[in-house]
Amino acid sequence: MSTEDRSMRFADVNDDVVRSLVVTGRKYYITLACAIAVTLLCFFFPWFYQLYYGIGAAGMNHPTVWGTYLASFIFWIGLSHSGTLLSCVLHITNSEWRKAMYRSAEAMTLFSLMVAAMMVMVHVGRPWFIHWALPYPNQMEMWPNFRSPLLFDVMAIGTYLTGSLIFIYMGSIPDFAAVRDRTTGWRHHMYVLLSLGWRGTDTEWHRLGWAYTFLAVLIIPLAVSVHSIVSWDFAMSIVPGLHQTIFAPYFVVGAIYSGTAGIVTVMFVLRKYMNFEHYITKLHFDNLGKRLLVLALICTYIIVLELFTGLYIGTSTEYEQLKYKLTGFYAPLYWEMILFCAVAPLLLISKRFRTSFVPMLILSIAINIGMYTERFLIVSTTLSRQYLPETWRVYVPSLVEVSILVGSVAMFVTLFLLFVKIFPSVSIYEVKETMTQPARKRGHAEWQTT
Amino acid sequence: MADHVVGLFDDAESALAAAGRIKASGIGQPELISPIPVHGADEVLGPKKSVIRRFTFFGGIIGGLSGFTLAAGTAVLYLHPTGGRPIITFPPFLIITYEMTILFGILATVLGFLISARFPALRDRVYVPEAAVDKFVVTIQCEGDASNQARMILGEMGAGDIRQWNEATP
Repeated sequence: MSTEDRSMRFADVNDDVVRSLVVTGRKYYITLACAIAVTLLCFFFPWFYQLYYGIGAAGMNHPTVWGTYLASFIFWIGLSHSGTLLSCVLHITNSEWRKAMYRSAEAMTLFSLMVAAMMVMVHVGRPWFIHWALPYPNQMEMWPNFRSPLLFDVMAIGTYLTGSLIFIYMGSIPDFAAVRDRTTGWRHHMYVLLSLGWRGTDTEWHRLGWAYTFLAVLIIPLAVSVHSIVSWDFAMSIVPGLHQTIFAPYFVVGAIYSGTAGIVTVMFVLRKYMNFEHYITKLHFDNLGKRLLVLALICTYIIVLELFTGLYIGTSTEYEQLKYKLTGFYAPLYWEMILFCAVAPLLLISKRFRTSFVPMLILSIAINIGMYTERFLIVSTTLSRQYLPETWRVYVPSLVEVSILVGSVAMFVTLFLLFVKIFPSVSIYEVKETMTQPARKRGHAEWQTT
Repeated sequence: MADHVVGLFDDAESALAAAGRIKASGIGQPELISPIPVHGADEVLGPKKSVIRRFTFFGGIIGGLSGFTLAAGTAVLYLHPTGGRPIITFPPFLIITYEMTILFGILATVLGFLISARFPALRDRVYVPEAAVDKFVVTIQCEGDASNQARMILGEMGAGDIRQWNEATP
């Protein structure tokens, strides 16, 4: 908010945020109903169909045993990577512009992680055995294999989900208290519990400041480790095209890139439909745009590097794999990814583009379509062409898989719509910190330390 | 039942100045309640030490040890030799150790925060709802003459509103 409207008062921030929580229009209910309906129809119905008929309902088969479910899993984990990570980095570097937007960005992290976890459930085929992946004493004497990247995943994502949930909650405690004082009925009771009895004393602020900073410092390396580990699910195999050391940084950069684009999309929606024009301003879009541009350039560098690595390895399998990626069955998708993720973001060089809301929205969605394609290509171009030509088989997702992908987007939207009515989606106290502070009136007695 | 005198200020600077004068007058330790963290509160109200850093540090260490014990212990108890590699393989086990260090570090930080900030609050404590909006509030626990003296200081320092607070009439 800081720059555009200096005439706002502290009380206006409370009013605006409380209004966004308690005043709900018909449009909201219609959107929520649609999102829930699409989630049920496109996600849960095909999933139950798949559970009933078996995993064969999905288009995955030998040799492509990892299909869109895994691509979606990487995509959602990636999307989660900018929220909490961006928030933590900007917190410890004291960036003022973070304050109006970080809450929603963190919520994005949380919900994309939840959706990602659901994608694993869908992928494993028999989700009722999912607890077998957790290390706990059991009468089967079965313990997970701690050398497997898949188990690293369970540990990393479990930790990241816990950390993100705690981080967003802890930052919201003062705001829950502010909302608590203004609400009635069940909402009041809910906020009384959530605020833990926060009063805003100097001791409480001091403790919150320290705890929040420690959490930020712990979460930054955690976020980097999470997507590195996801990349090892692939890179630790010996499949041509996957067995590359560049995968960890590639995944991390791709994740932050796609997550930042996701934040632009969410900010546009919040600004437009939750009436937060005073808080989410051109400054935020400009800064996010610059960040996107840098990430696009790093991402492009790694895409090119990946091609050269393939060439320099010099084995026929790697070379064939590369040729297949650039000119084979999936080539149109590859070039679409290059267009959306490497070429189109160059528009961000122009400040006029970065500060135009609708073009930024379109670009952010295009980048995420490109990034999803990139995740899909990682799975499909490599697994469908491994060492033995007689096992080569093109993979095309089935209707069930496509439907579940659409449903997962609707699930994310549903969770986000519920979030904006429970959590203050703009941080009240941090926005106030960026505002002009009430000035001291003249004529009052001064206090001298001596 | 503890009585408190509560003074509401429009700006942080005046509230801080009032808190400093009350502290200097020896009535007691004032408390500042504000809608945003007030910079410089430490200098006026005295430096604060928090135990959170110890929680985070030892939480991390305990997490790291548990993580490694979990992975290495499992490998030793359920032998699964693969390709002549050692039973306790450091590179993969260090990843588990790393993740558990962070997980326990985070959980211990939360615990440290709750304990040191005394959350959740189970009884009413001095509070003014305006402090969550735009007022900077100085509170001081006192009775009788001290109460009058505190009221006088708060008034002199420019408090817009001075109230009495106790648990019976929050």
